[in-house]
Amino acid sequence: MKAQAKYSYHVEAVDGQERPRRFLEAFAAILEHSNYGPVLEHYTRVSAKCSRCTASCQVYEASGDPRDIPCHRTELLLKVYRRYFTLAGQLKARLYDYYTLTDAHIDEMAEEFWRCTACRRCKLSCPMGIDHGMVAHLARWVMSEIDIVPKALLVSVREQLEGKSKNTSAIPVAAIKDTLEFLEEELEEVFPDQKIKFPVDVEGAKYVFFPAVSDYLMEADTLMGNAAMMHAIDASWTVGTQNLDGIDYGLFYSDRMWERIIKAQLAEIKRLGGQVMLIGECGHASRSAREGMQNFIAPEDRVPVVNIMELAHEKFRQGKLKLKPDVIEERTTYHDPCNIARTGWIVEQPRVLLRHICKDFVEMDSHGVNGICCGGGGGTVSIDEIHEFRMMIGGKTKAEQIRKTGAHYVVTPCANCKKQVDEIIKAHKLPTNRVGLHDLLIKAIDFS
Amino acid sequence: MAEFDVGNGTTVEIDEDGFLQEPENWNKEVAAALGKTEGVEDLVDEHWKVVDFLREYYLEFGVAPMIRKLCKSTGFKLNKIYELFPSGPAKGACKIAGLPKPTGCV
Repeated sequence: MKAQAKYSYHVEAVDGQERPRRFLEAFAAILEHSNYGPVLEHYTRVSAKCSRCTASCQVYEASGDPRDIPCHRTELLLKVYRRYFTLAGQLKARLYDYYTLTDAHIDEMAEEFWRCTACRRCKLSCPMGIDHGMVAHLARWVMSEIDIVPKALLVSVREQLEGKSKNTSAIPVAAIKDTLEFLEEELEEVFPDQKIKFPVDVEGAKYVFFPAVSDYLMEADTLMGNAAMMHAIDASWTVGTQNLDGIDYGLFYSDRMWERIIKAQLAEIKRLGGQVMLIGECGHASRSAREGMQNFIAPEDRVPVVNIMELAHEKFRQGKLKLKPDVIEERTTYHDPCNIARTGWIVEQPRVLLRHICKDFVEMDSHGVNGICCGGGGGTVSIDEIHEFRMMIGGKTKAEQIRKTGAHYVVTPCANCKKQVDEIIKAHKLPTNRVGLHDLLIKAIDFS
Repeated sequence: MAEFDVGNGTTVEIDEDGFLQEPENWNKEVAAALGKTEGVEDLVDEHWKVVDFLREYYLEFGVAPMIRKLCKSTGFKLNKIYELFPSGPAKGACKIAGLPKPTGCV
């Protein structure tokens, strides 16, 4: 029997029997073997349902739909927790014939938790400090255990973990090598004296490079900039052919997948004898690696996780990466990927570089830690069937922000945000060009 | 999954997004019929230049080429590719060339 409901996103045809029971069993198993229990215990007590979070949610701002109020959505899961996993809820259920989990409630969660872009901006205005993004992640995890998960994410994770290619875009090693050779030829055309290479499977290289694998299909300039920067700082680095994808969609919907993916990535670093996991221009790849390393890897096995913009910034400050000032004459602005900016991890580093190489760098009205999501966060950008929602609701505020800057370039150092911002520019007819940070950096590198 | 009417009395299987389910079922008639679903009424020589290159690359490497490589090999700039295929190289041109739906952040 197929799943009863039809959601805004595609799901694989799965067993739709006894979903409430299976949902609760999955939820119980997750609570038992994770530390989400104490968090939910706390949230069920403090959630004030005051809706102050609406002030900072770009989805709600655009839709005005009560379903998009972060604490309303969070309550959908807290209600289940309260009823089935607290003593008070269990008692109340017996005494007053209180709420029972139904298929309809599951369908409501399945729809609403995937309207959230998990950008966690609402956390900034929740007086009780509830992390609605984390609750969305947990709810999606429970649902994925009963096969309710967008097909676009599921098939990508399946290919990464069980497919031949070991990456989300199913790119065979031969194609990766062909692409790297092509990029080296492109680099040689621009910098004939430099011999800029993409080192492959170099054992003992310090940095093992994990860009979002989609860069190998879409982002020639970003990758060329990455290689040029690594060349300029004379770094020891390599691409590992057994596992080279920095993407980890587990961050969006399942700790179980998250753990399996980070472990496979780490195994490749160990195979090559690398010391540092170097993430390319990608927000969720950076956060999933950094937090995943802490959450799922034993302390003695961990390696440091560094985003390539952090490395470029560090070398620039040390004087080891020389950049010509004011090379970019057109007005330039910067979009903060939520997964690296919301905690303040990577906010200033790219700006230091951009202010140096750009003549006219401008900020969007709300940026940095308080930046507004592109509208494709939390895995939603990969779901093509919700394109209209991403353009007109999720990405509406971002489109207005970009337009207001009057910028020629919007720098968007994240594979998710790049795809979304490209589509926003087209849908909203913005006069702006989307680039990555290294797409501009490469124009300013002084190799002398 | 659904049956897609090629128009010459044959059908092929496509996925929810209209991509060919079995890339080996592709032929020029299928391409022309898929083109109509992506805003390309008639496939002219310039379209075929892109489609043929995608097809050849796919058969050799098992995946679409990097977009930059597609541009370089066909001599078309990216905006020209968008002119030819309004839904873009990944969703439009690749679909018409019979490639499976791209996965991941594409």
